[in-house]
Order: sequence, then C-alpha cells, then structure tokens
Amino acid sequence: MKPTGQAPATVSITSGKGGVGKTSLAVNLAFALADMHRKVLLVDGDLGLANVDVMLRLKPAKTIEDVLLQGQDPHCALTRISDHLAVLPGSSGVPAMVAPGSEKRSQLTDFLTCVMAGFDVVLLDTAAGIGDDVMWFNTFARHTVIVVSPEPTSLTDAYAVIKILAGQYGRNDFKLVLNFIENAEQGRALFQTLHQAAQRFLNLDPKLLGTVVRDPKVNQAVIAQTPFLHNTPGCPAAASVRQLARAVGALAADPAV
Amino acid sequence: MKNTQTAPCPLKDADCPVQAAYTELKAAYDLLEAASRIDALTGFFNYRHLLDALNREMERTRRTGIATAIVMADIDHFKKFNDTHGHDAGNLALQWVARTWREQIRSIDIPCRFGGEEFVIILPGTDLPGAIQVAERLRVELTKAPLKLDDASLPLSTSLGVATYTQKLEWPCVEAFIKAADQYLYQAKENGRNQTCYDQSKLTPPATGVTSEERDVLFSL
Repeated sequence: MKPTGQAPATVSITSGKGGVGKTSLAVNLAFALADMHRKVLLVDGDLGLANVDVMLRLKPAKTIEDVLLQGQDPHCALTRISDHLAVLPGSSGVPAMVAPGSEKRSQLTDFLTCVMAGFDVVLLDTAAGIGDDVMWFNTFARHTVIVVSPEPTSLTDAYAVIKILAGQYGRNDFKLVLNFIENAEQGRALFQTLHQAAQRFLNLDPKLLGTVVRDPKVNQAVIAQTPFLHNTPGCPAAASVRQLARAVGALAADPAV
Repeated sequence: MKNTQTAPCPLKDADCPVQAAYTELKAAYDLLEAASRIDALTGFFNYRHLLDALNREMERTRRTGIATAIVMADIDHFKKFNDTHGHDAGNLALQWVARTWREQIRSIDIPCRFGGEEFVIILPGTDLPGAIQVAERLRVELTKAPLKLDDASLPLSTSLGVATYTQKLEWPCVEAFIKAADQYLYQAKENGRNQTCYDQSKLTPPATGVTSEERDVLFSL
C-alpha cells in the first residue's frame, strides 16, 4: 500500500443521460482500483435516488442524508467493503436531498473533505441529468469522467453536459469512457464524433480514458447485485474495467494533476 | 392581524370612563395606523408602506439569497386622458387599474401606488423571468379590460419596468432599487409604450442548449 500523505484524486463520473451504465461502471471501477491496492472511496452522488448500495446489496446503517439532515458524525456514514474500499451511500427516495441549497452544499464540501482524507482515489458517481447537484459533484471533483454509449441520445446528452461544465463552470479537462461498445470501429467513431464536436464548437480536447465492451455479464451482475469484476472475473467487460482502472490509477499517481 | 384588544381597567371598574375613552382611542389609532399605509383612492398600499415593505424584502434577500423583484408601471398618456375625460374619470381609471391588477397578483405580492399614475408592485421571492411574466400579464390583462364609462369604452395601457435584487446585492438601498425599475419604465415609454422593459443581460443566455449545428456533427455518427 502506498503512503497516503497527499490529497486523494477526486474523479466524478457523469453522463447526462441515465441508463448508460454509469453506476455499474463506477462500482466495478472502484473494485478494480481496490484490487490494485489503491485505497478507494466510492461516493453515491445521486442524493435523491441512490443506487450504489443496491448494486452491492448493501443495507447501509447510515447515509449521506444522516449526516446532512440529521447532523450525525460524518465518519459513521462510511460503509467499509474491504481493507481498500469504502462506500459513502446516498439516500434513496429522499426528495429533500435532490436540490441541496447553498448551505447544504457547503456542508457537503466539509463532509466529503473530512471523510476522504486517507484515501488515494475518490470516485463520485453522479445522478443523471444536469441538475445543480450533478454540477456540484462535477465541479467538486478534480477530474471529470463522461460516460457515453453509442446511442445518439447518450452522445447528445454527454455533449450537452460538457458544454455546460465548460461554458458555465469553466471546466476544460474532460475524460471520456465509452460504454457498451460492440467493436473497435464503433468505439473509434463514437469518440471521434464527440471529440470533433467538442473541438469545433467548444475548443476542447477531451481525452479517451477507456473503452468498455458490451457484455451480457454486466447486466447479469447488476441483477445478481454483485460486481461483474468478481462475479465473472474472466468476462470481457471485466478486462476492460481493469484496463480503465490502470488509467484512473495513473491520474491518482501523477502528483501534477 | 391587528391586535384590537385593549387592556382591562386596572381598578376593575365595570363603568370606567377612562377605560371607555382608552378603548375608543385605541380603535381610532388602529384605524389611522392602517389608513396611514393605504392609498385611499385605489386601496393599494401607499409610498410609505412601499419603502418599509421593500426594505424588509431586501433584507430577506440578503439573508436567504432568494431574489426580490419589483414591477413599476405607469398608465400611458394619462395626462391626455385627464384632459379629455376629466379628473373624475382619471380617478376612476386609477381605481380600475388597481381593481384589474389585484386579481392578477398573488396574495404575497405587495401592490403599491407610487404616486400620480405610477404603481410599484413588490414581488417577494421572485426572480427576473418570473417578474417579467407577471409584468406582461398585468399589461395584457389591462389592455383586454377597457374602462367602461357612460356607455363609452375607454382603452387603457401601461408601460412597465422590471428590476430584481438578487444575491449579487445590486442596489445599496430601496431608492436605488426603485430607480432601476423606473429607468426600465422610462425605456418602455421611449420604445413606444404599452410594453415591459428590463435588463436583458440578467437573463441566462439560452446558448447552453445543443444547437442545430452541433447536432449536425453529433448526428453524423
């Protein structure tokens, strides 16, 4: 285990559109990083309808809500999964958490800053959409990962998120993860299309961080409420995620970023 | 709710003349206190109440960050209306505007007569887009409701200026806030009357949506 003196790398995972496999990807990526002996904190940033706990069949004793709305100790909200992995579960079905006001957001900053000390990588899985809470997590994180699938709706929404984060929040560093990709040609075309639009209209140069192949094992694992990385470690999607984890690990290792 | 209760006679005298006089004075005072805040002609609040209420709403914005809006309105060509139809008709027109508009605003809004044929309506907790919608509704509804006067139907229109006080704390005081709305009202008059003016630059530009040129590239996949 590497020394944990420096601040953790914060990575938000967002997509605009829902149903592009964002949460499943975040969960498996967290396990892959933990397998690499990185200390990982996975934060469920969907404050209204949390899903990370469901993906992992967790019954969390405490959630982000207990800290922000009930005034509980921030550290008690962490659910330890293993030596290297902890989850900060969100609240499910709590409308009060959907649009946290400015005061709640400043509490959230203090809260996350407090609990993430000692971790190497903090993955922030955001809700779908472009709400204030989604934008908050994306601007809180140092790195923004945009998950995009080959569907035109996903592509357009991913572009819209990039445009808002660049235009209204001054972000200019985006990393793309292509999900549900059938073959190399499809992945290349998807990346080039999004890159071309971002370059031409927004003067941005989004980087390709990784590609995850379409794999029926992913959906089976979601239904089994187990990460496919452990459920079927030999499946193609697991290999994709392990490769992606090395790229994310490199972000955390580089002290310049 | 006004507290109209009076204290009982300390000597417990059921027929106390001091107590009777006191009760009478208290009732008169309450009446005057309320009247001192109401414009007798239109029933709207008066200038004095406008300043007090707007001060309170600006303080609320400072504490909560929630915007306060004001709509300032002036009846178009009112001097000519008075010259043509007489001052009694002018007063009826002011009353008619107030009556028409009262139905268009929320119970939390604070309608005030600023003076002459000018009105200021305070819209608590309202941002600029919301206030523009209210102003436009007031303008349109009045044009649809001409003043009926002795078989004649006299059309009325207004020019309106909208200003907001947000967490950016744009205005140092009530007077500056009102003056900002007045300047947009002036602009509405200059632009030909019967319209609403406001600070266009304060509206979020709709440029963040995905444009058709951007779609062309994205849909090329």
